[in-house]
Amino acid sequence: MKHPSEEQDIIRWIDGEMNETERTTFEERLKLDPALASEAQKMRALSASLRSHLPAEIRVPHADYFNTQIEVRITQMALDDARSKQAATSWSAMFQWLTQPWFALVGAAALAVLGFFLLQPASADDSESMILSSYTPNLRVQARTYHDHDADATVLMLDGLDAMPADKHISGVNIQRSEMEPELASTTMYDEKGAAVFMISHDSLGNPLISPEG
Amino acid sequence: MPAAASTDPGEVSDLDLVKRSQAGDTRAFDVLVTRYRGRIYAMTYHLIQNETEAWDLAQEAFIKAWRALPTFKHDAGFYTWLYRIAHNVSYDWLRKKKIQGDGEFDDERVEHRIAVGAEATPHGDLAPDAAMRNAELGQRIQAAIATLSPEHRQVIVLREVEGLAYEEIAALIPCSLGTVMSRLFYARKKLQEQLHDVYETSL
Repeated sequence: MKHPSEEQDIIRWIDGEMNETERTTFEERLKLDPALASEAQKMRALSASLRSHLPAEIRVPHADYFNTQIEVRITQMALDDARSKQAATSWSAMFQWLTQPWFALVGAAALAVLGFFLLQPASADDSESMILSSYTPNLRVQARTYHDHDADATVLMLDGLDAMPADKHISGVNIQRSEMEPELASTTMYDEKGAAVFMISHDSLGNPLISPEG
Repeated sequence: MPAAASTDPGEVSDLDLVKRSQAGDTRAFDVLVTRYRGRIYAMTYHLIQNETEAWDLAQEAFIKAWRALPTFKHDAGFYTWLYRIAHNVSYDWLRKKKIQGDGEFDDERVEHRIAVGAEATPHGDLAPDAAMRNAELGQRIQAAIATLSPEHRQVIVLREVEGLAYEEIAALIPCSLGTVMSRLFYARKKLQEQLHDVYETSL
């Protein structure tokens, strides 16, 4: 076994980690010690060979599938988080497409509906549900809530919205319940009559699918 | 630390993509995955020496990165940060494998589970016979690396593939500089013993 300092000298010489003085001294020593010189040269050849045969980048097999699987798992995690936190947090992965500038208005509208939905009791036994956090895709929009026990009502206030076009019929929608479809990464909202009034999902390209529009 | 891939002028920067990802934009994150998957997969592949496991671990690294994005502070490059995550994921896997005894890391082990002809970024055109010799040597090197202990394999990959400085390797593992040099010496020594016919004839 070599002395640790000798091992380190060989390694540092191979890796070019010696300063000029150290390198000159070591190479003088190699001239006087053929066995050490032979070992150092072989190890240096090995190192060079490793570098040329171990590529720093390799094409990923089934690369598209690799990406798709990551997206699926991220979506699944968001859904799991949403479920485990009583649908209060982690909508960001599922609704990332709401951050598109052209979608800001619809995104804010969707947020309003979602916020309203979150305020609804999940069941008769869960009348104390509350908003723990909120997410606004448009960072200029701030969401605040106010709950009045006497009126049994919660008001969701959104500051920073653009003017709402008159043809966007989103006010007055009373969401009673919703159903999430993990497989489709979609959420459907129902009114008091059990009719589906709003569905949010996205297609395979991540583009938003909303029904009915507006 | 490992440098980020150079981006073409006009290409969206890592910083922009990370910021969009932090806001929940999975399409921005998908661009980052595409940009770095080849390098992360190469690292897991060299460490794990198994195509399927390396593929899964590379994916795991990206998913962990997505989850940890809110804590990313932009004080380090995204790739450096991602590389650390991928390294830790792979090394944890290796250690578990070692503890479970599923795969003996010793010099007698000659099995290698690398897909023959695994696609690698080409280094340049070679004549057919030279290319064949090159490929054979590559396979022998991979097989020799597969017999190393996780600790030795780790320093070889960090130094020879990623070109990290000793200090960077010590910080990443973490361990002392002396340990890094010692492990490098013995890892190379073991590889040299297994590949002695190649290097004795080439000198």
